[in-house]
This record gives sequence, structure tokens and C-alpha cells, in this order.
Amino acid sequence: MDNIKYIFEVEKDDFERAGEASSQIKKILRQLGLDSGIIRRVSIAAYEAEINLVIHSNGGTISIEIDPGKVTIYANDKGPGIENVELAMKEGYSTATERVREMGFGAGMGLPNMKRCADNFNINSILGQGTSIVMQIYMKDGV
Amino acid sequence: MAREYLHSVILKEDRCIGCTNCLKVCPTEAIRVRDGKAKIIPERCIDCGECIKICPNHAKNVITDDLSLLKKYKYNIVVPSLTLYGQFPSNIGIGKMLNAVKLIGFDEVVEAAIGADISVHVLKNYILKKPGIKYPVINSSCPAIIRLIQVRFPDLIPNIIDLETPIEIASRIAKSEAMEKTGLSYDDIGLVFITPCTARVTSVRNPLGIEKSYIDGVISIREIYGDIVRNIDTVSNGSIGKSTKESLLWAIAGGQAAAVKVDNHLVVDGISNVIKVLEEVELGKLEDVEFIECSACLGGCVGGPLLIQNSFVAKNRIMSYVKKAQNSTMSKEDLDKYINMYENGFFRLTEKIEPKSVMSLDTDLLKSIQKMEMVTEIMKNLPGIDCGVCGSPTCRAFAEDIVKGDDNKAVCIVKTMEGFKNRKA
Repeated sequence: MDNIKYIFEVEKDDFERAGEASSQIKKILRQLGLDSGIIRRVSIAAYEAEINLVIHSNGGTISIEIDPGKVTIYANDKGPGIENVELAMKEGYSTATERVREMGFGAGMGLPNMKRCADNFNINSILGQGTSIVMQIYMKDGV
Repeated sequence: MAREYLHSVILKEDRCIGCTNCLKVCPTEAIRVRDGKAKIIPERCIDCGECIKICPNHAKNVITDDLSLLKKYKYNIVVPSLTLYGQFPSNIGIGKMLNAVKLIGFDEVVEAAIGADISVHVLKNYILKKPGIKYPVINSSCPAIIRLIQVRFPDLIPNIIDLETPIEIASRIAKSEAMEKTGLSYDDIGLVFITPCTARVTSVRNPLGIEKSYIDGVISIREIYGDIVRNIDTVSNGSIGKSTKESLLWAIAGGQAAAVKVDNHLVVDGISNVIKVLEEVELGKLEDVEFIECSACLGGCVGGPLLIQNSFVAKNRIMSYVKKAQNSTMSKEDLDKYINMYENGFFRLTEKIEPKSVMSLDTDLLKSIQKMEMVTEIMKNLPGIDCGVCGSPTCRAFAEDIVKGDDNKAVCIVKTMEGFKNRKA
């Protein structure tokens, strides 16, 4: 077997554990000995995805798949779905509630940051059903 | 140049009972208990001294230099750490303490304060004002944290300020002035630093960021404490006293940030706390913070592993000197002189600090992936309570050790006991 997969559950509004999944992911990647630039990009992308699940979704999962060529991050949730994906991808645009913004989240940079970190970024959302995001980050040559 | 890396933290085997206290506090999981004795994995050890602080049997110790090295030199200078001032009651006075150290056998005692003051002014007026600076900047004065960053946060190496520590600055000035004053050559002048810090001992022998330290030997405050006590009553107050508010505060967590007067700063002490903050920095969550002051020891350097006095009491004593001290001032002429010394490399970390990757399972990614799968499989059969009885700090570390082939004799006692119980039932 030349790839491994890990799945982490993320609960809605669980601020206490927000960031734990991406922290675990970072530890795993460090142990695999990946290039630290790759680790940083994966960590940031996974963290932003995880926070989005906590703040905006009804709960979901973050999974990560590692093979010798790339790292793939999947973020899936059970709703509510994104009304306007194009608007959501704009820097600074946020649908976060006032309470969430008071806690320092909801700056509107999550999705744009994720796209910036990934080599491939794909987002699909159906209102009332849920959102799924797939991000791929390629290993550099010789790593 | 593959010079042997000499660690300062060691184990006195006859005192070790294999109790697992040190196992749990090591920030890089560098300790294992094998055959009833603690063993330090040299590649992982950052010489922070947490194991020394916690060992209830005083089995963990430090290798320092011996006073006999003074015989090698024609002229000997001593630079005591600023933490010295908190080790004795505050009615004694800084002058007496410095003279008591000098009486041990040195020709001259130089105050670390001169290095701290230079650091403060060069940082405040020049380095922190440089355009294009990468925020947040991290202080360079804690050698354990620099080594921690090498091992666990290699991405943050560029954030470390490239100014040498106050001790190295003071030592360089002291030696240069002594050479001029005595006419002796560099090799005939010895300089000893009296330290609270195991990582500092290591960093003098294996410097990071510079080719060679101007310090020739390091002795701990702990080992000469008795000599100082004996000398204190016999010495005069002396006319020494270059301590300023800023230099005295340097040894206390928060002192550096207060001295350089940066608006948005963060102070964190205690190595597990530093790890949490640096993880936030890595995620890009603290880019608005300008200056982060990190100390591996709680309370700052006054909490170092090689001191006698309790860190809170030491802080209280230093604060009584701070109240009586003046604010540090520097003429423009001197400031320009020191900025030049920084720019031409005399006070600067000119050598690159390399990342140290010791956390990975294998150098080959495919093998790493396979090993990680094995780790996950083994962990399914482990209790997950991280008790440490097997000699590894956590169940995960135990699984990793097996996969890496480190030790095949270790056994999970908890699983063995469960097996016995099930057979009996």
C-alpha cells in the first residue's frame, strides 16, 4: 500500500477543539518527513477548512490522503450549503455571525487562503444539502 | 566540518531509578527508559534542562567546565549572568556579589549589563525599525528555544532576530578591551561565563549562528554558589554598578519586550507554552504581532535549571534593584558605533541556522508512509494511556520506536496484565 488516509470529525460550534484536526495532520506530515513548505501549506489549508466547518457548517469531516506524489485534503459537511460560491471566494467577504466575528474569526479570508495554498482547488455546494471541497498539494521534485 | 556535538545535559546512572518523570516533560520526546535507566537520544535533545528540573533523584545533571581551565590563560575575565543578582538577599548589593565572584580567581569581572544595554538600543532604534522586516520577530536570547525551532518549527528560523545574545556581546567587548589594555593576544585571555542555563553551556561549545564564541568556559551558578557565599562577607561593595533598569529586567520574562518598547508584543515563558504560541505563528495567526519574547524557562532566565534560588523569589529580589536603577541611555555616537559592529558581523548571527529534521520516520517518503501505517496498526493494540512504563513517553512513541527498530525488547506491561487477567477469567 503506498498511500494512507486519515479522517477527522469536526462538530458545529466546537471552538474548544477547533484546530485539533489540522494540528494532528501537521504532526503526521512532519513524521513522514515532508518538506516544511508543503507541511505549512497543507496545515493552513486544513486549518481554514476546519474552522469553516466549525463556524459555518452543521458539522462534517476533514480527511487527508497522502501518497508519494501529493497530499489531498477533503472537507465535507452536511449543510447548510453556500448560497453564492463566487462571492464566498472573494477576499474579505464573510457570512460569519457577529458573535463569531467578536471571537476573532470570520475575516473572510478562509476560502481564498485555501485556494492560495493548494495547487488544485475544487469546491461544490448545494444549498440545503452541504459543501464538499477537494484540495491537492503536490510534493516538490526529489522530496 | 562534522564536529562532534557535545550535549551538556547528562545522566548520573547511579542515581536514576527509571521513574519516568523526565520522560513526560521532555519537549522533543528525547528520553527513553531502557533497562531501568533513562537514556537521552542525542539527536533530539535540545539541552533545555527540563529533565534536570523535574528529576526527584537529582540524577540529571550538566557537564560544565572546571575552574582549572583558568590556568591556561595569562589574564582571566568572568562575566556573571544577570540572574546572579536574584540569588542572594537584596540588601547585599550588586557590587558585593560581583566582587565575590571575582575573588574566586579572576583578574576582572565584567557586567553582562553592558551587553544587555547594547542589545536594547540596537534593537529598539535600528533592527526593529528596518524596512521589510518579517513579523513576528522572535528573540534570539534563549538558546533552548532556538534549538526547539530548529527541530520543531524550522519554518520560523527566518523570524529569529540575528543579533547575538547580550552575554556574547559583553564577552566580545570585554575581550577586545582586555587585549588593548594588557597587550596580550586573544589566546592568552580567558573568559568564563557563569550561567543558569544548560542550553547556554551547549551553545558555547556548539554555537549556532556564529563560528566560534568568545567565551572559553562555562560554569554554573549552582556549582560556585558556595564559593560566593564564603566570599561575600570579605569583599567590599566596589564601585561597579553599570546595571540599568532595562538590563536588570532582561533576565525576567517580559523584560526584553518592555525594554525595546514595541507596541504589539507577546511574551511567553515555559517551553510547552512557547510551543503552543509558535504553532499559532506557523499557521499565520500572529502576523500582526511585531515582537515575540520566548523563554524556555518559566519566569524567564531566573527560572533556569542551574540556579539555587526559587524563580519567584529571585524575581522579587531583582525588582528591588530595578526600582533603584536608572533608565538606560546611549549617546548617538555610541549607538552608531554599535550599529556598525552589528552590520559588520561582530554582534551578528552571520552563519545560517539549519533545520534539524529528527521527527521523521524515514528519509524516504514511501518508506515513511509504510512505517506510518505500521505505527497506526500497532497503536490499535495499545491501551493509549501513555503511562510510560514501557520506557517510551507515549503509546504513539512506543509504536514509532518499534517501527524504527529502536528497541525490540520493550514490552507493554498493561497489555500483558490484561492478557493475564483474561486468561484467569
